[in-house]
Amino acid sequence: MFGVTTPIETLRVLHQDLFPKAQALGIETASYMTVVFNHPKISKADKDFIKNGIKWLNEEAIIGYKKEYKKLSSKEREAILQIISKTEWGESFLYDVMGYMFEAMLGDPVYGGNNKQAGWEWLKFTGGLPRPKEPYLG
Amino acid sequence: MVDVCIIGSGAGAAPIAYELSLAGFEVVVLEKGKNYTEADFNKDELAVSRRDIFTPKLEDEFHIINEYQKDGTYKRYDGREYHWSFWNGNMVGGSSNLMSGYFHRLKPNDFKLLSTYGAIEGANVVDWPISYEDLEPYYTKVEKIIGVSGRVVNHSQQEPRSSVDFPYLELTINGAVKWFDAACEQLGFESIPTPRAILSQNALSRNGCYYSNFCGSYGCASGAKGSARAALLQKCKARIITDAFVYKLESDDKRVRKAYYKTRLGAVHVIRAKIFVLAAQAIESSRLLLNSTNKFFPNGLANSSKEVGKNLIFSAGGSGSGRFVFEKLTQAQQKELMEVGVFFNRSLQQWYDYKDGKRKQKGGTIDFLFEHQNIISRVMREVYDNHGNLMWGEALAKKVQKRLTTSRVLTFEVFNDWLPTDKCFVSVDKKAKDKYGVPVGVINLYGHPHDLEVGEYLAQKAVKVLREMGAVEIDYDISASPPPNLVAGGCRFGNDAKSSVLDKNCKAHDLENLYVTDASFMPTGGSVPYTWTIYANSFRVADAIKKVLDVKQ
Repeated sequence: MFGVTTPIETLRVLHQDLFPKAQALGIETASYMTVVFNHPKISKADKDFIKNGIKWLNEEAIIGYKKEYKKLSSKEREAILQIISKTEWGESFLYDVMGYMFEAMLGDPVYGGNNKQAGWEWLKFTGGLPRPKEPYLG
Repeated sequence: MVDVCIIGSGAGAAPIAYELSLAGFEVVVLEKGKNYTEADFNKDELAVSRRDIFTPKLEDEFHIINEYQKDGTYKRYDGREYHWSFWNGNMVGGSSNLMSGYFHRLKPNDFKLLSTYGAIEGANVVDWPISYEDLEPYYTKVEKIIGVSGRVVNHSQQEPRSSVDFPYLELTINGAVKWFDAACEQLGFESIPTPRAILSQNALSRNGCYYSNFCGSYGCASGAKGSARAALLQKCKARIITDAFVYKLESDDKRVRKAYYKTRLGAVHVIRAKIFVLAAQAIESSRLLLNSTNKFFPNGLANSSKEVGKNLIFSAGGSGSGRFVFEKLTQAQQKELMEVGVFFNRSLQQWYDYKDGKRKQKGGTIDFLFEHQNIISRVMREVYDNHGNLMWGEALAKKVQKRLTTSRVLTFEVFNDWLPTDKCFVSVDKKAKDKYGVPVGVINLYGHPHDLEVGEYLAQKAVKVLREMGAVEIDYDISASPPPNLVAGGCRFGNDAKSSVLDKNCKAHDLENLYVTDASFMPTGGSVPYTWTIYANSFRVADAIKKVLDVKQ
């Protein structure tokens, strides 16, 4: 049913909806989810929950508008977010997605997000020194 | 055969390694984790605080947690499923690498809790077999060797000291600290500069603090923090073997003969020693003893008293906070408030004991500190609105930016005694095993209601200060949740071999050559973070072991 849309593509749109400021600052956050999905210190259950959440999000979109989430208008996507945020799974899913999204936006740039420390500068935050020379991938 | 084999490398282990190797004895330290140096440490929030780089994967190594219920049963939690971790720093130097280094001594009355304050129903309160006077020289030694900075001020609860002041000047503090001092003066409270195990200047062949803004939870890149590794292990000739998980101690009826350890790939090694010192952190030390059964000790090594694992304690209390907002501050004050890096470093100990009606009551310590600088955590605390609804989009962005750039949170931590009871103890699981194939530790949890009453009393005092300072959104949480980094007991020391595991020198009553020197020995915990006392006691035990080895030679 969703053959043409990868989980990362759905997440890219979802990130844009949840925190458009990141992209306005030139920070691309969705690609970081590849790090998350491959990280040995993140449990399989946590990874599966995100992946299942993406499926359930799309199912909710199909039920409401007969289109997957990515293909909805921004108004329709907002309506879907409002609906799922009132459910137990939806609230947890959005909270977890935001957690990883902010990791990309506000973690050290060595992980590929937080482009030129734009996230830190926006919040007048000075990262601690020394900064990591390489990402910790487990 | 080596002279001394030490299991673990943290604050309870390192003073023994340091003292005995400097005295010319052959010392081997077995540590499960890796060995890092200052050059390896950085301030990567993702690695340190969100991916737990310094602790094992919970799927590989975990605990079973049994939480006591009101109906007298325990509810079982598998640490893997509930993400409930009791690991701290699995690395050379242990969790002392990651401590904030809030250093307070115990007070004289902490050594005689029973005789000073009396029995409490449902709690196994006892006096210690040593006094404050016995430990005082070692507290002083820690100040000099580990490096404690601060400034002694006169206050009603000041413990006796053999030196006038700390050997290292206090660390630089934030301008907002004067608001705290003024508020305390107004309230008649005694503001105390918090002593820290952090060098304020280059000394002891280590660099002084460079105010990185990321201290607690993070390894120190300058060596200023008085970790067991930086202050002791890096300065002595003890042989450190990493990737060495000790799963069994073998003994006859009198002496421990061998320590067996496995590497992460499963290779088995054996160490023979004249003396064995166990300091693997309170829960894991009890676990190792309970797992080391043999025909002489069918209930676990050194456990003829059946007291191993019993009377596990944590630090009781909780934490709270208040927010300072730009709208209520002058421009100069705003600037002071947002100055990062420098410390807050203020404590209250005025109610270390207090009168509750006619009864003299044991109280505790309140430390004040700025909210941790971890930015991802701070942002995630903003994603709910005042009605508990999840926020996103522009509204969230506006909120996050305003909160993080025009306000700052001052937090406080309450430390009071976690009363030892029969219901809080360590055991081992009959089925669950870790990646090494060894039965995991079971943490049976219970907090005595009295702990909450004392915590509440202290938190109310902290709230008064925050209110007087002009903070908003003041809130606190006193609970029976155990802080995993403040754990003690399980092998309490005492003079009676029937009711304690260790003698007053922390040697097992049952065995001639086994010592336990992490926080396991503590029958009661005092109302401060434990690390200074663990260090001091370990230096004290090192002297006792030195005498034994000297006689042998």
